[in-house]
Order: sequence, then structure tokens, then C-alpha cells
Amino acid sequence: MDSVITVEHLTKDYGEGRGIFDLSFEVKKGETFGFVGTNGSGKTTTIRHIMGFLKAQSGQVTVLGLDAWKDSPEIKKYVEYVPGEIAFPDLRDGTTFLKAQAELLGLKDTNRINYLVEKLQLDTSANLKRMSKGMKQKTAIVAAFMADKDILILDEPSTGLDPLMRETFIELLQEEKSKGKTIFMSSQMFDELEDVCDRVALIFDGRIIDIADMSEINNLPYKTFKVEFTTREDYLKFKRLKYEIVRDQEKYNQVTIKVYDKNLNRLFDTLKNYTLKFIAEVKYNLEKHFKEVLAKEYARLDAIKKEEEAHPKPQEELTRTEQKQIKREHKKEEKKENQSEKNEKFFNKPKVKAEKKEIKTHKKEAKKAEKQEKKEVDNV
Amino acid sequence: MFSKALFKQSMKANWVKWVSVTLSTCVMLAIVIIVLGNLGINDIRDSLKDVFTQADQESYLKENAVDGYELYLTSIELEGTLQSLDADMAQTAYGILINQYNTNKESYKTENNLEELDETALEEIRRDTATSIVTNPLIWGGITSQLGVSISQEQGIDFVMEIYRVYDNPVYTTSPTEPDFLTKFQNILRTSFLNYVYTSAYELNLSQEGSNDESATYSAEKMEELITNAMASYQVPEGEFDRTPYKESAMTGINNMLYDVTNYTYYNQLIAGGMEEEEATSTAEQYAVVVKVLSNTAISTYELWLDELGDVEGAQEQARTEACASITDQIPEKVSEALSELGNMDIYSLIIGSIFYRIAGLLLPMVFVIMTANGLLAGQVDSGSMAYVLSTPTKRRTVTVTQMTYLIVSLFAMFALLTVTSVIAVWISGGNSFAINYGQILLFNLGAFLTMFAIAGFCFMCSALFNRAKYSLGVGGGITIFSLVCTILGLFGSSVVPSAMRISAMNFFNYLSVITLYDTVSIMSGTLSYLWKFGILLAIGVVTFIIGGFRFDKKDLPL
Repeated sequence: MDSVITVEHLTKDYGEGRGIFDLSFEVKKGETFGFVGTNGSGKTTTIRHIMGFLKAQSGQVTVLGLDAWKDSPEIKKYVEYVPGEIAFPDLRDGTTFLKAQAELLGLKDTNRINYLVEKLQLDTSANLKRMSKGMKQKTAIVAAFMADKDILILDEPSTGLDPLMRETFIELLQEEKSKGKTIFMSSQMFDELEDVCDRVALIFDGRIIDIADMSEINNLPYKTFKVEFTTREDYLKFKRLKYEIVRDQEKYNQVTIKVYDKNLNRLFDTLKNYTLKFIAEVKYNLEKHFKEVLAKEYARLDAIKKEEEAHPKPQEELTRTEQKQIKREHKKEEKKENQSEKNEKFFNKPKVKAEKKEIKTHKKEAKKAEKQEKKEVDNV
Repeated sequence: MFSKALFKQSMKANWVKWVSVTLSTCVMLAIVIIVLGNLGINDIRDSLKDVFTQADQESYLKENAVDGYELYLTSIELEGTLQSLDADMAQTAYGILINQYNTNKESYKTENNLEELDETALEEIRRDTATSIVTNPLIWGGITSQLGVSISQEQGIDFVMEIYRVYDNPVYTTSPTEPDFLTKFQNILRTSFLNYVYTSAYELNLSQEGSNDESATYSAEKMEELITNAMASYQVPEGEFDRTPYKESAMTGINNMLYDVTNYTYYNQLIAGGMEEEEATSTAEQYAVVVKVLSNTAISTYELWLDELGDVEGAQEQARTEACASITDQIPEKVSEALSELGNMDIYSLIIGSIFYRIAGLLLPMVFVIMTANGLLAGQVDSGSMAYVLSTPTKRRTVTVTQMTYLIVSLFAMFALLTVTSVIAVWISGGNSFAINYGQILLFNLGAFLTMFAIAGFCFMCSALFNRAKYSLGVGGGITIFSLVCTILGLFGSSVVPSAMRISAMNFFNYLSVITLYDTVSIMSGTLSYLWKFGILLAIGVVTFIIGGFRFDKKDLPL
């Protein structure tokens, strides 16, 4: 399969840790790629790069082999886009807007628009400014989908939709997917990503920390069950059997066990002889998966922090602003030195003053370093 | 490079603004031109101007009367001198004059290798000789003291030249040795004097407004006649010459002469102006009476002042000045200057040019441009609605070109309508006879359009540079409104405000405003300095539009 969207080492640094850093992934033809992350983690920034609205600081984004920044207008021939922030042009109502959009796209056939409007139950005669969030979202979806192009880029497309409408929207997405379209969508709703996506990337603080394959998550070779026994004896007896216990809650006579599919029958055979209060399958889903990944990530970050506490930062890892400050100080010193040298040449004066100054600046630096250390400690 | 769909969208988004701004500006302009035109705001100016012209005319008339009166009396005295001329004296004086003249003629002939002298050459020799004689204090002083008349150098030159002219005339050719030389010489002098009077009266009348050859000839003939009569009325006095007995006849003579001349001249002017004969006669008579009264007053005042000042040197001159003083000479100089400036000020061009076209008429289009320019790019980027345009295969360049085309076209349409309105309004107010003619009103509109073009370019550039509407509005709109406010403040220091109200330090504000390049004063006064200023405005617009266009291509958009 050809890759439709390729993102390679994409970096956009907005300073103070914000932005996206060294992002790499690719979306293959016909694939539905989900993009999930907390607020401000860089989802929209990535999408804006793909759309060619932002220029990459480093790295490259290509769509269908075309550079996303340089060939942006060419790419748009194949791309439909639902922006994350819905704001319409200054036009009267939905109909006017959709007509204007169709004109910009050069569309003459209104069948698809009518189909979409009907499907989403959209009232296009409503005033654009007075529309509710859901209605605006629906209008934006119609505006994007009406061109029937091959690539869909959707930035949180289901926000504001009521649960029923979200169902309809997912249906619509699946319809598009069945036509072989490539979909790239960001969302905060795990369930809708689970329903549509083939792969989902998790972005955290501007970095992709995991790309999950939905087929792997859905088709795990094992299941997890929570079992609670009525009597203490049964509970203890069961524990002695060789089942893999994930979680043990003695207080409630409860165990959570992991069972490979091939062993399922054996489990139920065993359980015939026990009095159960209940048995329930604990579903393993995307949300759970990412929670686990995130927990690991947090742990890793904690470890790094602790490490830093123990051993102060080496200079290479100082943040940009700190580096700049140091550079500035260096320059100042250089200037002073140069001047004092010149002075010497011209006036033959002893170097005492310059030396004093140097001593002073050294002291200052030492103080500053101390302060910075203190701050870091406080922050931690 | 151009998207029709986007253009339509911009039109739909901005047409309400456009219509309201255009209509209200048109109405404002029509009111300014038509209503104020019919109110006759220039009446004050005209009446002030009348006062000043009348005062000038009056003063001129009085001077004429007094001068004529003096001339009358002098001519009688001259006649007395002529009659008492000593033959030897006359021979000597005439001899000096003629010898010099003949010598010069001969040397001119040899110098230029000429056999005969034509009239222009003769006139040149006459002037040179007369000048050399009159400016030589020894010769001229001798002659005048012998003759007993005081003549100024200028008059003297004219007089001597006249003597030469008469001498060249074969009728008067005479030689000092002839037995009746004295009588002939007297005649020559008399004729020369009368010729001189005739010529100066002719020229004086011709220099007046509305005069022509006919009236000048009439006036000169009248004057000659009067002086001839005056000289004839001379009676040999017992003892010294005394002018007192002739004063009354001098006054009456001059008064009547001025009456006749005015009546004749004015009547002819009125007839030429298309007035009925009967009406013209009575009007001219009335005016002539006024002139007669004025002349009478001036001469009486002159006599009174002469009595008052005594017969000291310079008394005559002062008496003349006092008698001829007009209203304007009597008020303090500064006030008189301010008043005359007010009289010369064109309130129409001030209100229409400097106030309407540079301030009031620009305000609403400015608001339109600030809001529209912001809404065309920065507003849509800030709200995010630009995403819908840019998610279609529309290039950014297409967006900027389309949007700037919309801005320029809408401005052009606005000023086209404004031009039509102003031309109609001027037509209603009297067309080219109105204070502002068609050419000027068209230039006013062109200038206003170019000013707005420059401002639109600047606002568009701001809109393209900033992603935030508040910065685009703040910088683009802020500086634009700042310019307008500076123009309002600068108005109080500019030359269009009368000096009595002007605070020249305020002119500093004009240097801070781009609207200063829209030079309505230059358009009104007909100088061409507005042309290069128009060029600068055009250049500002073009450059800022281009900068905006290129910048928008290359920047990050938060969509």
C-alpha cells in the first residue's frame, strides 16, 4: 500500500516546551488514522502542517508525495478538511455558505450536498451566527464532505454533536472508509476512534509516544475476567489453581484473571464446581491501552526528574532561554575584555579595573547559578 | 490569480457597509455643495471685497481730482510765466535745448551711418537728450529757475521731449534769431505743455479698469480743453501772481470735467453691458454725480489741509495724502490686512476642499477601509473562517489578489459615485460659474480616491501581516485615524485658515499625516504641485499592497 500522508521528523517549537517535536508517522492509502492526545498536546499543529497552513521548522510533511507547504494548493484538490475551530465567513445563512463553498470548489452537482444535509438532518436556512455548536459542526462537515475527495483530514470532527448524531457521523465515516478513502482524524473520544480507526497515534507534549494497531487491541489472544466468589473457601481454593492473577482483592473474595482463548473452556469447566457471586469480562480497549502507555510515560518522566535532582543538568540540556542568557553574558564579557584591551593599548593603564570587573561578573554568575538551582528544586 | 467565487463572497460580506458609507458620504457632499451654495456663504466675502475695491476706487478718484486741480492752477501760473518771458532768456534756454538735440542727432547719424532718421530713432534721441539735460542739475536748474516753474524730473523729461517733438514739426520750425521768436517760442512751450497734458490724461484713463481708446481719447480731450481754457483765463496780475482768484474756477472746472468723463465712460460701459439706453443714462448720471461730489470733497479737504499746514515745503504732498486717504488707510494695518485677507478668502474652497474632501468626506470611507481591509484577511484568519477558502485548491496568492481587487474596486466604485454626485451638485449650483469648476471638482475626487488608495494599501498590508484582528485593526486603523486627527489639528495651522484664526505651530501636525499629500490648496490655486504628491500617494498604495501580498504568501496561518 502507498503511503498517502508522510510526516518525517516534523518539529515546530513555540518555546516554553510548547509545539511539536520530531514527529514521524505515515498514513497509508485507504487507512483510517486516529490522532489522540490531551488538550494542547499538538494535534491541531500537526494537522495545520499537513494542510500547509504552517511551515515546518524542520522535518518534512508530504501528501501524495507533494510537499505540504509548497504544493499546498495542489494537495487541496485531493483533501477535505474539517477545522478544529469552527468559524464561518461573514455570510447570511447556511445555504449561502454552502453555495459559496461549492463555488470555490467548482462543484455543480448538488446531489451530494442534499444527501449529506439529509443524513445529518441539517437545517441550512439557519443564520450562521446564531447556530448552535452542533449545527455549526454539521455545517462544517457538509462543507468538507461535499467535494467527495480522496483524503479526509478531520480535526475533532464530532465535538458538539449529540450522541445520536455522533452515531450517524460515524456511520458516515464508515461509508467513506468503505469507498477506500484515506482518513486522518484527531479526537478526544476513544470510542469513536475505536469504531473507525485502523491505527491510532497517541501524542503527548508534542511527541508521539505510541501508535496502536486497533486490530491488535481488538483481537488480543487472551481475555480478562473478574470473578467474585460467595465463600472464602472457594476463593482460597481457586487461588491455588494455576491461573494468571492480574489483580487480587482479598477483602471481596475477588480475583481478576487473564485467560488465553485456548484455555477458556478449561476455565469454565473449573468454575462449574464453585459458587460464584458474579463473573464479568474486563474489556481491554484503546482507552485502557493508552492509560497504560501514559502511566509508563509518567513514570519515565518522574524517573528523569529524580535523576536530574540527583545530578544537576549538564549545560547541553539547558533550555533555549537559559542558553540565550548565557550567550548574552559571554558576549558582554567579551566586549568588556576587548574594551579594556583597547584602553590599555591607548592609555597604557594598568589592568586593575578590568580585573575587578571580571571578578564581579564571576561573582554574579555564581549567584545566578545558585538561584537557578534553587528554582529548579522548588519547581520539582 | 483571481477567484470569482471569493470576490462574490467578499461582496456579500461587505455590501451593507459599502452602501451605507457611500450613500451617506454622497448625501453629505451634495448638502455641502448645493445647500451651502444657495445660502451664499461667499456673500460676506464679496461684500468685504466690495468695501475694499470701493475704497481703492475712491482714493484713486480723489487723487485724480486733487492732481487735476493742481495741474489747473499750475497751468495758469505757467501761462503767466510764458507771458512774462524775457526774449534773451528764452533764446538762451531754447538754444541750449535745441543745440544739444541737434548735436545728438548728428552724432547718432554718423555712429549708425544713416542719412535720414526715422521716428523710433528720433524718439530715442529725444529721450536720451531730455534725460541728459534734466538730470544735469546745472543746466536744468538754470532753465527752471529762469522759467519760474517747478517741474519734477520725470515731468521734465516728458516736457522736454514734447518740446523736441514740436521742434521737429515743420510748422513750428523757428530759429532764435527771427524777429517774432519769443511769440513762436511761447507757442512751442504752450503746445508742448498741452500735448503733455493730453498724453498723460489719455494714459491715466486707459490704465483704469473697463476703459478703452474711445473713453481715454474723450477724457484726454476734455482735460486739454479745460487746461486750454484755464491758460486763456489768465489775467496779468497787479504785483505778484496769486492763485486765489482762480481756485473757484479750478474746482468747478475739475468737478465738471470729472462729471462729464465719468458720465461718458460709464454710460458707454453700461450700454456695452447690454443695458437699456434710458436706464443707462440715468444710472451713469447718478454715478457721475457721486464722482462729482467726491471730487468736490477731495479738493475742499485738500485746500483746508493746505491752509492748516501753511506754505511749508512738503505741505502740499501731505495735504494731498490726507485728502485722498480711504477707509482702509484709516484702520490699523494688522486689522486691515486681516480684513482684506478675509475678503480674499474663498470660503467655498475652504469648506469643500479642505474640510469636506480632506476630513469629513474621508472619515466614512476610512472606517469602511479599516473594517473591510481587516475583514478581508486578518479577521478571517483570526476567526478561522479562512480555513474554508484555503482548504479548497485556492492559492494564497489568489486570495490576496482577489481581496485587494475587491478593496480597490469597491473604493473606486464609491468614489465614482461620489464624483457623479459632486458633478451634479456643481451643475445645480451653477456649473463653471460656481466657486469651484468641473475640473477642480474632478481633481478633488481623484485626490480623495488616491488618498484612500494609499490608506487602503496600508490597512491591507496590516491585515496581511497580522494574524490577530486586534493588531491589524490597532495598527492599520490606529495610524489611519491618527492621520485624520492630525489633519484636523493641522487645519488650524494651515494657510487656508485666515491669519486672524491661525496658530502656525499647529501646522506641525500636517507633517504627521499622509493626507497632507492630498493638496487641495494647490488644486484650487491651479499650481501643479499636487501632481507629484498624487504620484507619491499612488506609490504608497502600490508598495503597501505588494508588501501585504508577498507577506501573506509566506507566513504561518493558525487555521
